[in-house]
Amino acid sequence: MAQDSVGFSSDYQFWLQKLSVWDQASTLETQQDTCLHLPRFQEFLRQMYEVLKEMDSNTIIERFPTIGQLLARTCWNPFILAFAKKILIWCLCCLINKEPQNSEESKLNSWTRGLLSHILSAFRFDTKEVGLFTQGLGYAPADYCPGLLKNMVLSLASELRENHLNGFNTQRRMVPEKIRFLSRVCIPLVTLPDIEPLVEALLTYHGYEPQEVLWPEFFDAVNEAFLLKKISLPTSAVVCLWLRHLPSLEKATLHLFDKLISSERNFLRRIECFLKDSLLPEAACHPAIFRIVDEMFRCALLETDGAPEVLAAIQVFTWCFVEALEKKNKQLKFTFKTYFPYASPSLIMVLLQHPKEIPQELWHQPLKHISEMLREIVEDQTHGSYGGPFECWFLFIHFGGWADIVAEQLVMSEAEPPEALLWLLAFSYSPRDRSLQRTQTMIEVKAVLGHLKKLFRSPTLSAKDLQAAAAESRDRDPRPPLCQQLIRRLILNFLLWAPGGHVIAREVITLMAPTDELTYEMTGLLDQTLYRWDHLCMEAPRSRKLARELLAELRSAGTAR
Amino acid sequence: MESLLQHLERFSELLAVSRTTHVSTWDPATVRRALQWARYLRHVHSRFGRHVRIRTALERRLQKRGRQDGAPGSAPVPGLTNFQALGRCDRLLSLRLLENRALGDAAYHYLLQQLFPGPGVPDADEETLQGSLVRLARRGSAVHMLRFIGYGENSVLEDAVLKTQAELLLERLREVPKAEAEGPSRFLSTLWDRLPQNNFLKVIAVALLLPPSSPRPQGEELELGTPKTPGEGGQELIRWLLAKSDVMAAFCHNLPVGLLTSVAGRHPELSRAYLGLLTDWGRHLRYDLEKGTWVGAESQHVSWEELYGRFQSLCQAPPPLKDEVLTALESCKAQDGDFQVPGLSIWTDLLLALGSGS
Repeated sequence: MAQDSVGFSSDYQFWLQKLSVWDQASTLETQQDTCLHLPRFQEFLRQMYEVLKEMDSNTIIERFPTIGQLLARTCWNPFILAFAKKILIWCLCCLINKEPQNSEESKLNSWTRGLLSHILSAFRFDTKEVGLFTQGLGYAPADYCPGLLKNMVLSLASELRENHLNGFNTQRRMVPEKIRFLSRVCIPLVTLPDIEPLVEALLTYHGYEPQEVLWPEFFDAVNEAFLLKKISLPTSAVVCLWLRHLPSLEKATLHLFDKLISSERNFLRRIECFLKDSLLPEAACHPAIFRIVDEMFRCALLETDGAPEVLAAIQVFTWCFVEALEKKNKQLKFTFKTYFPYASPSLIMVLLQHPKEIPQELWHQPLKHISEMLREIVEDQTHGSYGGPFECWFLFIHFGGWADIVAEQLVMSEAEPPEALLWLLAFSYSPRDRSLQRTQTMIEVKAVLGHLKKLFRSPTLSAKDLQAAAAESRDRDPRPPLCQQLIRRLILNFLLWAPGGHVIAREVITLMAPTDELTYEMTGLLDQTLYRWDHLCMEAPRSRKLARELLAELRSAGTAR
Repeated sequence: MESLLQHLERFSELLAVSRTTHVSTWDPATVRRALQWARYLRHVHSRFGRHVRIRTALERRLQKRGRQDGAPGSAPVPGLTNFQALGRCDRLLSLRLLENRALGDAAYHYLLQQLFPGPGVPDADEETLQGSLVRLARRGSAVHMLRFIGYGENSVLEDAVLKTQAELLLERLREVPKAEAEGPSRFLSTLWDRLPQNNFLKVIAVALLLPPSSPRPQGEELELGTPKTPGEGGQELIRWLLAKSDVMAAFCHNLPVGLLTSVAGRHPELSRAYLGLLTDWGRHLRYDLEKGTWVGAESQHVSWEELYGRFQSLCQAPPPLKDEVLTALESCKAQDGDFQVPGLSIWTDLLLALGSGS
């Protein structure tokens, strides 16, 4: 507590000093500095209110003899006044003495009442004519202030738009300095809904000047207000904001990551909501935005060493992004090459196909095609024009639905597993493997699939049989963890699709997932599977029912623990 | 119903008192009761907004009071003049009390506690008085700050101010009781005598240019079931202008040419009167052989340049108006004798100057 009060005192001195430098914020430098400090100063006022509300006005004056100076300076700075009015009012209220005992106390009351009047009165016109007119009609400023503000905002916004359309040819052209100034004035006002048309007009305004005319602090303020949902802006304006101000885009993406991290895991439906809500997939239709967001996803993936949650998020993001692109299809101005500059265009075209549009029995064709193309690039030692194995893999996991389909197809198909599909599955799980290791994984998978095939239609299926099928053979090296994970996925698919799977499913899962970590992995797999089936409109009522039940049981077990 | 009306009556009185020094006798309990009344009336506003009978009765009573309070003749006291105002009557009362230095310290202290309870109260609740007062003050700040932009060569601020004044004028016109046949015109004449005339003329012109049925833009004050009569106020303005030849003359004389052309383009009745005035002004000009130009017989007459400027502006308007103007000029020219050479008829010369002479 003592520590706090020392901190507060030094803050107090700091702001008193700042306020006297800012004065009435009439110069460019003081305005800029005020805008830069607005959120911090508001926080200080909040702390001050917490201190003041515990004292009576006499104690306040004793403890802070200069408080009058501080508050008065605050009240005369229009930028602060427009930003932090409410807390300022609260602070001033603390100074009012209910029963002043002497002239000093009365004087303080009267002074405070003057300040409160000043900040609460709407405004006064300095032109006499207007004042006379409104008064003559019987209106007080409070009555027409909202209407006047609306008209001012609309006038300014339409002038900006005209500016934009007419370029150099208009007489009433707003000079760049004025637009710059306007953007600064808007900083403390962005959270006021009345200002929105003007904020939108500023964001979408493109001048003819080579440099950015708007203040960076303006972008910061708008972005912050947008992320905290204090304002709502049309998507086009948000896209302009992110295109014009890179730090805002980065902040928006990090804000999304924060939300994804703090949200409940293994809930792709919810992740999809967060993603759409962030407007990022829609904004990413602009390649410049896509490339930045994608780059940040790549960093997240590398930092987490390929965490399944990040993989899932990238996949859902890509889904939302493709969906948004299709909606805008008619006005699509960019080739896919601009979104994925390092990838082979023909590979992208195959990956972009929606499996829903291909009959299920033909799915192996695109899968084979994808596998061959990837393999060619990956095994090309020169790593020519399309990046190395990691680049290929990173591209592939955007469309990770295909890998899930491979795992499903391999379990369900009666035929000998095709080499191409085995390779694709092994690659999707472990892109860094050398080809020898990958071949090893393929052999393991092939062996397990052979066992599973025999059990698929078995009338007397037991958990033990399945465990034996998935077991490692003693004469080979132990499986690497990613390979084990791959096998668990195959078993889960088997349980969901084999006719007798539902009978032994719970038992198998208990055997397979003895630890929290593995339970968690299973939950994720089931959630992803259900989400993908929904997405592909898969007709599989029995498998769906089982998956839903298992997921619910695993989730409740997870929360119970 | 009668008790509700009485309640309204008493509150109007209270509101009138809230601006006077009488409040020095108020104690916290009085402030509490006053705020309670205001809250009750705001509740009435939100409850009976769609209830035509009650609404009309309340409105009638408010208007009756408004007339007793002063209008016409003296400035009406800003206060409760229509049903809409009931929705913000608590804010109105609060602002008056906050501004009134006669209110004692204890009562003022209590008022602040009621109005600004601090952060404990839900922030987002737009309905709280605290929220409404702070929002109003922030809007005031916004006007104040955006005003910085308006200065200089730019007329953005002026446009916005005129438009707002025009909206207010139309709103007041809507409130003038229709029962009295002379109501609107008497109301306008009173304003004409009392307000700065040039500003008033500009406001009228802007009001005539507003899109029909432009409800007063007030985000928070939802106009619950307000009977909208598009352009009705505009019709009243036109009727009044046409009936008052001196005002009409001043209107056509003093306003900027472009503004007049826009108004004429929108309202055929006015364009005819305007053309009538212009031809009248034209007839006062005589051809000065020595100078070779048209000059006014007396100094107050409109000059050739000004007349030409007005016709030129009218001829740049979209078709119906432009054609009407040219037809009028042609017919004047024919009446004068259909001269083809310059210097004999002003209409021939005007048509030649406008590039449409036949």
